[in-house]
Amino acid sequence: MTILLLFLILSLGSFALLSKDLLHSVIALSALSMLSALMFTMLKAPDVAITEAAVGAGISTIIFVWAIRHTRRRSKD
Amino acid sequence: MTDFILQAMLVMLMLFAVGTLLRLLLGPTASDRLVALNVLSAVSLALLVLWGIKVGRALYLDVALVYDIFGFLGFLAITRFLKDRKEN
Repeated sequence: MTILLLFLILSLGSFALLSKDLLHSVIALSALSMLSALMFTMLKAPDVAITEAAVGAGISTIIFVWAIRHTRRRSKD
Repeated sequence: MTDFILQAMLVMLMLFAVGTLLRLLLGPTASDRLVALNVLSAVSLALLVLWGIKVGRALYLDVALVYDIFGFLGFLAITRFLKDRKEN
């Protein structure tokens, strides 16, 4: 089950890198931090998972959205 | 018997997570991806609670609690961004 989670996290990370739209990348990063919190829980590290859920899913998503409000959303190339 | 049922629920929820993730990766618009992210968060919340029940420690339920509170704030920020985007 950990192997499957690792493949899902890998696909989400490569999608966040390759996407042309910044908002789609932010959504993929939010899902990535959620699945990594799940993986930390399954690897018996619940304190790391609590920190990852608070910082990765909540705070970093809000900060990323707040930052791309001041830029153009789509890249030209 | 209880172990078998818990294991079967974990496998089924993992399959649901994979199906939702396909929509998150392929969905054409941002709204599709946002709804897929919301469903994926519900599925992974159920996975966290099930894992806590399977291991039998109450500390594992705190992860689900904290994720539920802060994940909702993140979705709220993305939805607000989409609303401002529509008005412009």
